[in-house]
Amino acid sequence: MKGTLSFLGQKAMILHRPSETTDRLVRQCALLGLRVEARWRPLRAVEDVDIVLVDADEGWDGLLPWTPAEKPVPLVALLASEAPGRIAWALDQGADALIAKPVTASAVYPALVMATRRHAEAGQFNQRIARLEERVRLRPLVHAAVRILMVADGCDENEAYGRLRRKAMQTRLTLEHAAASILASSRKQAG
Amino acid sequence: MTALRLGILFSTSGDYGVLGRDCRDGAMIAIEELRGGCSIAIEPVFGDPGGSSERYIQLVRRMLQDDGCRHVIGTVTSQARKDVIPVIEKHDALLWYVCPYEGFEANPNVIYTGACPNQHLLPLFEYMMPACGRRVYLTGANYIWGWEMNRLAREIVTEAGGEIVGERCLPIGDPDVDRIVAEVAIRRPNFILSNMLGPSNHAFLRAMRELGRRDPVFRPERCPVVSCDLTECELPEIGFGVADGQLAAASYFDSLDTSANRALKAQVAARFGSERRVSSYFATGYATVGLCVEAVTRCGTDDPVKVRAALAGLEAPSPLGPLLVDPATNHANLPFLLGRISGADFVILQSRPAAVADPYLIRKRTIAQPRGAQPPLRVVS
Repeated sequence: MKGTLSFLGQKAMILHRPSETTDRLVRQCALLGLRVEARWRPLRAVEDVDIVLVDADEGWDGLLPWTPAEKPVPLVALLASEAPGRIAWALDQGADALIAKPVTASAVYPALVMATRRHAEAGQFNQRIARLEERVRLRPLVHAAVRILMVADGCDENEAYGRLRRKAMQTRLTLEHAAASILASSRKQAG
Repeated sequence: MTALRLGILFSTSGDYGVLGRDCRDGAMIAIEELRGGCSIAIEPVFGDPGGSSERYIQLVRRMLQDDGCRHVIGTVTSQARKDVIPVIEKHDALLWYVCPYEGFEANPNVIYTGACPNQHLLPLFEYMMPACGRRVYLTGANYIWGWEMNRLAREIVTEAGGEIVGERCLPIGDPDVDRIVAEVAIRRPNFILSNMLGPSNHAFLRAMRELGRRDPVFRPERCPVVSCDLTECELPEIGFGVADGQLAAASYFDSLDTSANRALKAQVAARFGSERRVSSYFATGYATVGLCVEAVTRCGTDDPVKVRAALAGLEAPSPLGPLLVDPATNHANLPFLLGRISGADFVILQSRPAAVADPYLIRKRTIAQPRGAQPPLRVVS
């Protein structure tokens, strides 16, 4: 995402009471090619939006239909207050970027780009963590496969681990899947 | 209301003083002309920040707080514009910005009568790539104009399957161009985009002239230097003939043959002498004062909110053609002209009618991938 980020055709939802702030946000978002809706009632999970801007000064739990971990779109918090409780509320919603109120025109595009990028990165991190957790979960299989290779080939642990890795690379499997296939064929032989 | 106090804030001294002088002179000649036949008195307040950020901020604050201005025509560089905008916003005034810039801005408190990239850089590359080729060298001044114009050019060229063969920026005004010229000589681009400013650009054009003398491959007809900010006002400083054959995009050239332009040129010749050429900076400064005064006159007040509203649908005749500001973006619709330098003038090679500004480039880019062009393959190891 190094190039110029385009929001053309995407939908922005502004959750804020009608105000000059709202008007400014609507104007700048529209200039970026976004379809814009501004209102002051909860967002429902079924609604099709691409980015959400939410008033963190007056926002309440339940205004957004998701937990931060499941947040499906980039979120920008709108904040005039310096009160720690309001900052915490914005963080608890999973805000990816902040626009300070009163809103200046030049604050909007940077915040939308930053929120979009941060949200995408968070998604990539979560996927990566899920993959790593899966590997940790399957670690006992790797240990078991290494022990089988040590007995079968009469080699030490390092050598057995090296063989397992080579097998995984040659068969284009992950280490864990290669280990699982060794375990499966060893069980077959045993049975 | 009886008098319009108009801030005229241009750096007429300093590194890019020659551009500021043209902007100011254009504004001044418009004020002198309007004083004769206009129902309101115009009282200009001049300020020369000399290219210094602190002075820009001091002077614009003084204009708005002490001098009673609610409209300021001014700033040349984007750096200066971004410096004064917070002060303009604080006083809910209007800044009228007359210079070409790199886009990605649409402030409600700014009226943009200078062109943004869909009005200069994109049509320039649409012309250049089929005509010259897609191997491009990028140079610029080391600030936001140079950075953003080069970044956009890189996107345009790469999307069209071309190649950026080099990129180098110099501090504003730095004339030490040897390294850039040496790199150009080795990389052999099809053309060069220069976003340098003032003395850097002059030194570069002189050095390219020397390079072309040594090796005809680098003469303007085979490897032109193109830019979106070089105008008539810099040609005397560069030296007549030195940059002949090089190209520039602008929304106005002195050589435009229209009745509105002939009238302006007669006025300029009478005021400044027949040698003086009119640049797009001059013409846009002139046209913008005319537009501002027309809007204020229609409102009967200089209240910026009302003046901005009055701009919608207002079409003011100008040397650039009818000047119309899009109320959605506050940007003027502007024509695209491509000129080739010849002596003191630009010969117009291509002109396109006024286009609506697209400051955030949200509309589909018009540059199509040439048939058969493939992005270069990369070796993956």
